Amino acid sequence: MNVLVKKMLRTIWNTRGQFLAVTAVVTVGITVYMSMTTSYFNLNASKDRFYRENNFADYYFHVVRAPQQVVKQVESLPGVAVATGRIQKDMPVVKEGDQRATARITSYAVPMEGEVNRIQLMSGRFFENNPQGGGVEVLTDLKFASANGLSFGDLVYIVADGRKAPLTLVGTGTSPEFTIAMKDAATLMPDPRTFGLIMMSHQQAQQIMNLPGQINQVIIKVAPGFNEELVASGVKHILEPYGNLASYPRSKQLSHAVLQGELDGLKASSRFMPVIFLGIAAAIQMVMLGRMIKGKRLEIGVLKALGYSSRSIILHYTGYSVATSLMGCIMGTILGAGLTSAISGMYAEIFNLPQAIGSINYQAVLYGSALSLGVGASTGLIASRGVVKINPADSMRPNPPKKGGRIFLERWEWIWKRLDSTWKMSLRTAFRNRGRFTLVLLGVTFSVGMLVMSLFSNDTIDYMIKKQFFENQGYDYLVRFSAPLKEHELLNISRIEGVLRAEPIFEIPVRVHYNGKSQEDSLQGLNVTTTLKKITDKNGRPLQLPEEGVLISERTAAKLGAREGDPVEVETLLGTGPSRRAALKIAGVNQQLVGGGSFVSIDQANGILQERSLVSGVMLKVDPGTFHVVEKKLDDMTAISSVLSRQKELANFDKNLEAMIYSILIMVMFAMVMGFAIVYNSSVISFSERKRELASLRVLGFTNREVSGLLMKENMLQSLLGVALGLPLGRLMTQGYISAVSTDLFTMPLVIYPQTYFLSTAGGLLFIWVAHLVAVRGVKKLDLVDVLKNRD
Amino acid sequence: MAENILMKLDGATRTYTMGDVKVEALRETSLDIYSGEILVILGPSGSGKSTLLNIMGGMDLPSGGHVFLEREDLSAAGEERLTRYRRNEVGFVFQFYNLMPDLTARENVELASGLVENPLPAAGVLKEMGLEDRMDHFPSQLSGGEQQRVSIARAAAKNPRLLLCDEPTGALDYQTGKLILGLLARINRDRGSTVVIVTHNTGIGSMAHRIVRMRSGSIVEIIQNKTPVSPERIDW
Ligand SMILES: Nc1ncnc2c1ncn2[C@@H]1O[C@H](COP(=O)(O)OP(=O)(O)OP(=O)(O)O)[C@@H](O)[C@H]1O
Ligand SMILES: [Mg+2]
Repeated sequence: MNVLVKKMLRTIWNTRGQFLAVTAVVTVGITVYMSMTTSYFNLNASKDRFYRENNFADYYFHVVRAPQQVVKQVESLPGVAVATGRIQKDMPVVKEGDQRATARITSYAVPMEGEVNRIQLMSGRFFENNPQGGGVEVLTDLKFASANGLSFGDLVYIVADGRKAPLTLVGTGTSPEFTIAMKDAATLMPDPRTFGLIMMSHQQAQQIMNLPGQINQVIIKVAPGFNEELVASGVKHILEPYGNLASYPRSKQLSHAVLQGELDGLKASSRFMPVIFLGIAAAIQMVMLGRMIKGKRLEIGVLKALGYSSRSIILHYTGYSVATSLMGCIMGTILGAGLTSAISGMYAEIFNLPQAIGSINYQAVLYGSALSLGVGASTGLIASRGVVKINPADSMRPNPPKKGGRIFLERWEWIWKRLDSTWKMSLRTAFRNRGRFTLVLLGVTFSVGMLVMSLFSNDTIDYMIKKQFFENQGYDYLVRFSAPLKEHELLNISRIEGVLRAEPIFEIPVRVHYNGKSQEDSLQGLNVTTTLKKITDKNGRPLQLPEEGVLISERTAAKLGAREGDPVEVETLLGTGPSRRAALKIAGVNQQLVGGGSFVSIDQANGILQERSLVSGVMLKVDPGTFHVVEKKLDDMTAISSVLSRQKELANFDKNLEAMIYSILIMVMFAMVMGFAIVYNSSVISFSERKRELASLRVLGFTNREVSGLLMKENMLQSLLGVALGLPLGRLMTQGYISAVSTDLFTMPLVIYPQTYFLSTAGGLLFIWVAHLVAVRGVKKLDLVDVLKNRD
Repeated sequence: MAENILMKLDGATRTYTMGDVKVEALRETSLDIYSGEILVILGPSGSGKSTLLNIMGGMDLPSGGHVFLEREDLSAAGEERLTRYRRNEVGFVFQFYNLMPDLTARENVELASGLVENPLPAAGVLKEMGLEDRMDHFPSQLSGGEQQRVSIARAAAKNPRLLLCDEPTGALDYQTGKLILGLLARINRDRGSTVVIVTHNTGIGSMAHRIVRMRSGSIVEIIQNKTPVSPERIDW
């Protein structure tokens, strides 16, 4: 082996602490890069493939009902490549023990070749149009089947036309529009126990829902080269006579939006995070190597005297940083592969995607290696460029004493005079090594910022839960009926023992028109005296529901450009009975964290439909001791389509949060590793650089503790400033993260509790302190005689 | 002794500028160095001995004048040529040994011998220096004299034409010093290397073929020594 290589390996061994610290940071960077890039790549690839293979729709049109033939008409429009007509409807499911769930029933052509949004079979077999022995064969999504303990051949009961209809489960399947099964954008997390997807043939669906020859949705693929919106308006025109309930492009399709949001977030972090880690690793190495080269002036001079060229010496030192990169790259690739499979496993849990989504992406490995080795090599070259300037004759002469001098702080005499001499020493050293000072400052700032960013999601979610489930929602149950009832019929429910309070609610899907623009929304009629639902404005101040006028949702108002006092027109989209239009005045703008909805008094809601005292559901406040009894009673009532229970929603939430805890822990660990590595390396450097000075102090009679304390003070100066700056930076980074993952349908509030800042500060102080302790272990071992007698 | 000129200094000077102050470390100096001789440079501290030696060794360039290696003007050479010169022609021995602390004795020698085409075997040279038992020790495990012997082995292993030693005995005791000088004389005798020794110890002069005396940056006297004595018999 080349002697210089041997020498480098020995140097690595002798500085193994620092070497490992830098390697760890590179490892984290590459791990993050590899896992996020690969996960992104895999998820995106399997999404694309899934969408392509199953002909994912570009545009959706919901109508009240239309004859099947209209699809031909739509298909003949220029720009429409394929059109599929179908029935899709949410229906109540009666589970074992009469508990309710909701199923989104979707109908399909048999066979379905050439159609839009085809099914991908996951297990079992496809349903048949006319199965032997009669009955109705269906598929459900895998999660609904397993959450409810369903296996092939089992019967699922839905309520159609007031009757229980049995469906036979023959398999499970998914479709591009079902990658995540959520009822609507107001749903925080998928809950397969209460919401599922049921797929069956057109014929059967038309029969069960009593819609012979009819459809209620048209979905299309737009031909390449055509403007989507123009094509869509043509389709809308054709569908106009059939009650156009809603129309939206793929980007607003719920499961796609969720999946895309996840992908965008992943992409953003896969670019941003590795840059931070590798940048920090490069900066540490720059300082470390720069320092090493300064300290090895004599050695470099001797190598030059022996006849080594500057180039070979530079390569020798560059080898050190390339070695950290190489090691970091290898470990990062291994850990990255592990993390990738964990992330892919998590995605497989969340999304209904058919292909296995975990595999190694060689392109990512290649780029990751190139990235880390490139950073290592260029860092090494830049840091060791000083080698050229070292003159061998000069290097043999003892170093001139370090420059001493005043620092700016000394101008503020009244502070300076109050400091003791150890503080003065620490301050002077800190300010004299500006590069290192900046590095530690930056590193600690980023680490603490990352801690804040890792921990914030807990706060935001906690905040959303509290707001959603406890502040804005005063009820324990929201009961929805299969069809509107008269208000006095609620007595059956409010008289159930344990029900403390019952308030009616009338939900009407509407389209709001203003100034030529329109937006779909849900109008919710409530008692003006309601105590079970709190409506607030965007600053969280409570709004009083007026007798006349609408508290419009923030999102609708923004889309329409309407403000308080403006008149709007609402068009009802119930899908049964005639569509009504009515003028309303905006009495205020309400904002809700999750979902949306505009609020009116229940009398006005009835007025719009030209009805009196109708209700579509009831909100219940129930004595906690009687939850079970009340639930049982509700389950027994046939007119009920769904029962939302706060308790169950929370439980579902908690289950979903567990997965999140792991990713938070990993991020926290990464942030701490980075912070530790920086502070540790800087401390080791500053320690070895000042060995002689510190030994002199020991000779003067300073104790080990006092000497370590001196180093600690220096450390503290940079670190505390870093912690202080890290907190606001963390907030900024969080904001960036939120805007990266926000989609049209979802956004998260930026909520960071003081406790998170406190924890991040504590985390920061912890890694600073531990790094310091590890770095100054050497103080005890300081051999006074040896240090003082050695020249160099 | 064949009067073959290996190196020639022609009016070489070296001036250091420190702020406004100019230090003339070497005033106009001309000197011929003969192939195969032992040259001892004597002079008090600060007289410019190391400066002269560094210029000879291509460690530093003169501020004025010329340095010829045979016919080639080294003072006009670039960094690359100087590196090649140091690599192929020169071996250095320093007062404080300057071994690489993280390499063993043998590896330190290999560090140098690996640079040239036809080196002497590292183990062999170390054995010549009486270090056969110390080859795998690190410098921190060796005494000063042993380290200096490794350092000579390192210089000699390249089998250089010019062996330049700056105060090679400066940090050693009397007996060890003599041992080191004996090794240098042996290399001169057995291999014909030209050996230049810088020292402020006048006694060492008696082992030289020629003695150069310096004072405040100038050569004041060049003495021919008709009867060089072997170092074992020198006293100081
Ligand atoms: N790099 C330098 N910068 C400034 N002055 C220098 C430098 N190198 C040498 N000198 C000065 O040049 C003069 C000659 O120095 P040199 O090292 O050649 O002396 P020397 O004869 O080797 O002394 P010693 O016996 O103490 O080693 C001294 O005055 C020294 O201070
Ligand atoms: Mg000298």
